[in-house]
Amino acid sequence: MRLTLAIHQIGSLSLGAATLLDGNKLVVDPEELRLLILEDTRLRSVDIETVSPGEDCRIGVVFDILEPRAKESGSGPNFPGILDPIGVVGQGVTHVLRGVAVTVVDGGAGLENGKILEMTGPAGEASPYTSLHHLVITPHSAENVVRHSEQAALRLASVKTSVYLAQCALEITPHSAEIFESDGPVVKGRGGLPRFAYIGQVHSRQRVAEIDEKILYGDNTAGMVPVSLHPNEWLDGAVVTCNRAMGAETYFYQNHPVILELYRRHQDDEITLVGTLATMAASDNDERDRNCMLAAEHAKWNLAADGVILTKYGGGAPHADMSLTARRCEELGIRTTVQVSDMSWDRRAESALLFNYPVVDAIVYVGGRDTDWDVPAAGRVIGGSGELAEELGAPRRLIATNVCGVSSQQGISRLRAMVH
Amino acid sequence: MRVVHYLNQFFGGIGGEEHADTEPQVHDEPVGPGRLLGQVLGENAQVVRTIVCGDNYATENMEALTALVLEQTKDAQADIFVAGPCFEAGRYGVAAAGLCVAVSSELDIPVVTGMAQENPGVDLHRQTLYIVDSGKAASAMREVLTKMSDMAHKLASGQDMGAPAEEGYIARGILKDTFVEQTAAQRLVAMLDAKVKGEEFESELPAPSFPEIPAPAPVADMSKARVAIITDGGLVPKGNPDNISAWAATNWGSYDIAGKDGLQGDDYEVSHRGYDTRYVEQDPDRLVPVDVLRELEESNVIGELHSQFISTSGLVNPIANSRRLGREIAAQLKESEVDAVILTST
Repeated sequence: MRLTLAIHQIGSLSLGAATLLDGNKLVVDPEELRLLILEDTRLRSVDIETVSPGEDCRIGVVFDILEPRAKESGSGPNFPGILDPIGVVGQGVTHVLRGVAVTVVDGGAGLENGKILEMTGPAGEASPYTSLHHLVITPHSAENVVRHSEQAALRLASVKTSVYLAQCALEITPHSAEIFESDGPVVKGRGGLPRFAYIGQVHSRQRVAEIDEKILYGDNTAGMVPVSLHPNEWLDGAVVTCNRAMGAETYFYQNHPVILELYRRHQDDEITLVGTLATMAASDNDERDRNCMLAAEHAKWNLAADGVILTKYGGGAPHADMSLTARRCEELGIRTTVQVSDMSWDRRAESALLFNYPVVDAIVYVGGRDTDWDVPAAGRVIGGSGELAEELGAPRRLIATNVCGVSSQQGISRLRAMVH
Repeated sequence: MRVVHYLNQFFGGIGGEEHADTEPQVHDEPVGPGRLLGQVLGENAQVVRTIVCGDNYATENMEALTALVLEQTKDAQADIFVAGPCFEAGRYGVAAAGLCVAVSSELDIPVVTGMAQENPGVDLHRQTLYIVDSGKAASAMREVLTKMSDMAHKLASGQDMGAPAEEGYIARGILKDTFVEQTAAQRLVAMLDAKVKGEEFESELPAPSFPEIPAPAPVADMSKARVAIITDGGLVPKGNPDNISAWAATNWGSYDIAGKDGLQGDDYEVSHRGYDTRYVEQDPDRLVPVDVLRELEESNVIGELHSQFISTSGLVNPIANSRRLGREIAAQLKESEVDAVILTST
């Protein structure tokens, strides 16, 4: 499978009379975008604003952040199962507005544990998102729309906006191209290179997904067993985050740090990237045993992997699924590394791990529990409602785990908890 | 800087094992390695008092020794307390570490000790002390004392302590966030690459080692046993009367089930944020199986169901806290003459 990302480097973002890309300047017609978003009758209105890199601005509660991308005609669907009909992604040409993000605000979410995008100051500097130009959309739901429908409307608005923005670049010659090509597990002519795979959780059933919650090709992952995905599918819209995703945004599925790093080494002929599996964290023991066994079997007998990287989703319990999968892999002779979330509330190393398998011995520990910032009142606030915006904009303590991109579960985090 | 130094009988120059019962001796000058310590500490520091004590005496009279050391250290107007280094000497290490903890908490002055990783004093007090890693060889005395002196100066000046490898102390097992150059993804792939090739790699978190907990003897006769249910799944009566936190709970509750044949969803709620609680809220017996245990009680498979169930929320609970909760719960059940416990988790 071969995917070409046609990269359009964007230097400025503004609102204007027509949506167009002029050199590296992106102009967005808010009225046209508004009409598009409000085709969804679950929504009554939408605020559309731009935020510049490093601007003194605080945004919350963040529903999701996406990179604007659109598929060329004949290259396959955009966000299949959500926006376009089901079809395979990861092939052909996808146009990318690099340097821009679509940031969606969830007006129905409370501030407690809500995700915040802080665009300036030390908290901002710790986030990979603050160097981007953000088109921030805040959809407001119509009356009597239940919560999960409201969230489904946010999801649809998010992918619509992502595709809408990038579509203006389809006829324009990009600045550069990034090519991602892997023949999968049957790859020829790479004998002797270690075969690496990625096993990533895409949901945790600690909170069962809503019936209309679209996560993997539009599926809500209920009853899902491990699914084999080509690495390109992650990058090209097969997977989005759930309705309330801590430490994960769709932007870093589209720019998946683990997959990109594996691809970099693959292209440098250091390893062979043989494939990936999407898994979900179970809600009961049988489901967990079954899923972990199946994922390891996949990695062994279908991918013939020598090494596997595992990441988790959600909170504490998914560590059980990730570590059991890693253990099963190790038992089958596949070496593993795992990325765990910071679970030590007393900052003791003894409380840090939620598993204890001696073979799962290569751990990347993303910290976050003792990183926080006391931030002053924000110069500009984008919040869902007036009341929430007021609270959000006041001086407050920002905790790393609530600031988008800082203690990410997707591999972008530069935080590390060291044992002292 | 005025330093008080603690030594065992061997390093204090009294003698070996045959002198291990020696009672504490106080000298208003450096003794043995204390002279070298004085040198490496530099001009602005001096060892003003030395306490020498036999290892056996220390082990058997820790309370009296601690009282004496506190008194002498206070009297000497010490700015810092140094014990050892103890290398592999176990009784010496345990005493030195114990005295350091006492001086630190009672007199609130910095304390420094040094010992080998394997010394039992490390296991006891690594979490509260900065213990310089002395290695096993006493021949490295000058090098070890230099590290301890550096540590003493650093602690006395109140500077931030760096990572164990930089500063030369044995990891205390405390996590500190740091921003690093490489993303987690880069670290994951690099570590995997090394591991697959059979090269050395360093896990960012060493595997924890927990002491084995031996299984208790089986219950001799279940048909006569009083059985209690404990859950860490957070089931509480409506209104959560004990305010048990939905994560990292610091308390637990015991709730009356006398005369109940089962639990009704209307009477309970769940204080736990880590799992899908709907099925328990529908029927709490799924978590706290009073219904089934009543049947077993009636058919005399078990003697009796204890009149209360015990509940807390186990979610992301620090180990130290969990240990305390466990001890408290066990003590209460013991008092209630419970013979066996069924633990249900989520």
